[in-house]
Amino acid sequence: MSGMSELLITVTLIVALFGLLGMGVWIGLALAGVAWISMELFSSRSAGDAMAVTIWGSSSSWTLTALPLFLWMGEILFRTRLSEDMFRGLAPWMNLLPGRLLHTNVVGCAIFAAVSGSSAATVATIGKMTLPELGRRGYPEDMTIGTLAGAGTLGLLIPPSIIMIVYGVAADVSIAQLFMAGVLPGVMLAALFMGYIVVWSLLHPNRIPAADPGLSFVDRVKASASLIPVMLLIGGVLGSIYAGIATATEAAAVGVVGALILAAFQRSLSWKTFVESLLGATCLYCMIALILAGAAFLTLSMGYIGLPRDLAEWIATMGLSKWQLLAVLTVFYVVLGCFLDGISMVVLTMGVVMPTVQAAGVDLVWFGIYIVLVVEMAQITPPVGFNLFVLQGMTGKEMPYLARVTVPMFLLMVVALVLLYQIPEIATWLPQQMRKA
Amino acid sequence: MRAALDGLYKACAWLAALGMIGVLVMVLMSILGRQFGFYLPGTDAYAGYLMAAAGFFSLAYALRRGDHIRVTVLLNTIAPIARHRLERVTLGIAALLGVLFAWFSIRLVVQSLEFHDISTGNDATPLWIPQLSMAIGVTIFAIALLDDWIAELRGTRQSGGDTPQRVE
Repeated sequence: MSGMSELLITVTLIVALFGLLGMGVWIGLALAGVAWISMELFSSRSAGDAMAVTIWGSSSSWTLTALPLFLWMGEILFRTRLSEDMFRGLAPWMNLLPGRLLHTNVVGCAIFAAVSGSSAATVATIGKMTLPELGRRGYPEDMTIGTLAGAGTLGLLIPPSIIMIVYGVAADVSIAQLFMAGVLPGVMLAALFMGYIVVWSLLHPNRIPAADPGLSFVDRVKASASLIPVMLLIGGVLGSIYAGIATATEAAAVGVVGALILAAFQRSLSWKTFVESLLGATCLYCMIALILAGAAFLTLSMGYIGLPRDLAEWIATMGLSKWQLLAVLTVFYVVLGCFLDGISMVVLTMGVVMPTVQAAGVDLVWFGIYIVLVVEMAQITPPVGFNLFVLQGMTGKEMPYLARVTVPMFLLMVVALVLLYQIPEIATWLPQQMRKA
Repeated sequence: MRAALDGLYKACAWLAALGMIGVLVMVLMSILGRQFGFYLPGTDAYAGYLMAAAGFFSLAYALRRGDHIRVTVLLNTIAPIARHRLERVTLGIAALLGVLFAWFSIRLVVQSLEFHDISTGNDATPLWIPQLSMAIGVTIFAIALLDDWIAELRGTRQSGGDTPQRVE
């Protein structure tokens, strides 16, 4: 292809994509529409038949079966008493730290993230308990909401993680290794959030209400017993993967069964809640599946016209160093995240970004963690930030207010990105140990 | 007519929900099979087919519930009259894409039948059978999109088109 026609193709497709998305065509359909246009205009293959075969292939691939199951598990857990139990178990210990119960947001989200694969589900489940409890005790609202929004993003970073499954399938990277790689960065990010709460509350001592009546050490340990269900669930899901009983894909099924057993034990499992969770999860999955279907077709048609390869070559000629490339990508994703959700972002860009990143010699497991962190940042930036949508629904606050109170968390995530870049072992060490074992 | 269409969407959503349960059962079968040494050929492939059914059969119902994501920044900022005009165009494009998708999904089933296409996995399923879920689900999705578009043209559209409350 000559330089001129290449430019023409790129401009046509970008205009078509942003035109369709901006008009409000559903994202999956818009992606399929652009793919259709590019195949009809710039290749000789029949667009319709290629679309049907590709979409069928991607929609029926067993590698993605963990996705609907993790969504279902989240829907079941949301309808149990799990979050009440976690709050009761954590609160006595968190009262000891400066910032007191604000830490229940972070620790609660970090623990729940180890059973849930999604950040919106994490925010909704933990916030259901902490928002009213902290509000009742007089904790400052901006800090309560801000830390919850930030900590909810741990749902994506700490395994299991829906977005890592999507990335792993798109980039052909082992999902079990990605899960492993997310653990330490997740703990690091949680520590950053907690450190911020400590510093903030030392600076504003009069804004933190008094501790709940003190409990003896024995009572605290007794209260911790209510953490047992969630711990069993974590053990079941992650344990089944690393004990070799189930693959990373299959562990989601273990999670669904565990969640159902837990709900049955807590007597929160009725025919009504079962059906609600099932239909809720099906519709949620359907929403993601439509985007994935459109993206699969778009990736195919991009491959036909050779755009990703050309773009990768073009970026290579710019001679960016590794950190410059990553800095550019970070800005690109955060801006893109203002308009698109995380999964759309990952599937839409993988075809183009992967060749470039591989050419720059970036480790693909490390890059997966990097992508997840950046997507997390995008989750808390308006106007399209799903954690903010969830919080808007839960608190009734306006978007600008929510965006403002989450700014410190956003900055902490930038710090986490820099740390991850400076010390790549935070992500790569654990998977390396796993490969050796 | 309204009740019949809504019933159709809901009935399909129930089929999708059964597909979801099917995915769970298939994956559990393959875990249990490995643990207890019995072998059921094709559980992976069946889980995939059932997942496809769960996705395709619920398309129309999820659309009616307003679960599908779209970018509404522009739609929400412009004046109501302009919004309605834009919605007519947008829904028209969406309906067109839905109809095209449905047409080629049906064609895929017909071609699979004609060429006796069989799964390359160890399930050896004739592919037209699982592909029916895509053909039927997407056809009903196209009907729902047309339904929405016609309602918008008539000024009677009600189904939610705004951003859903929880994802990922």
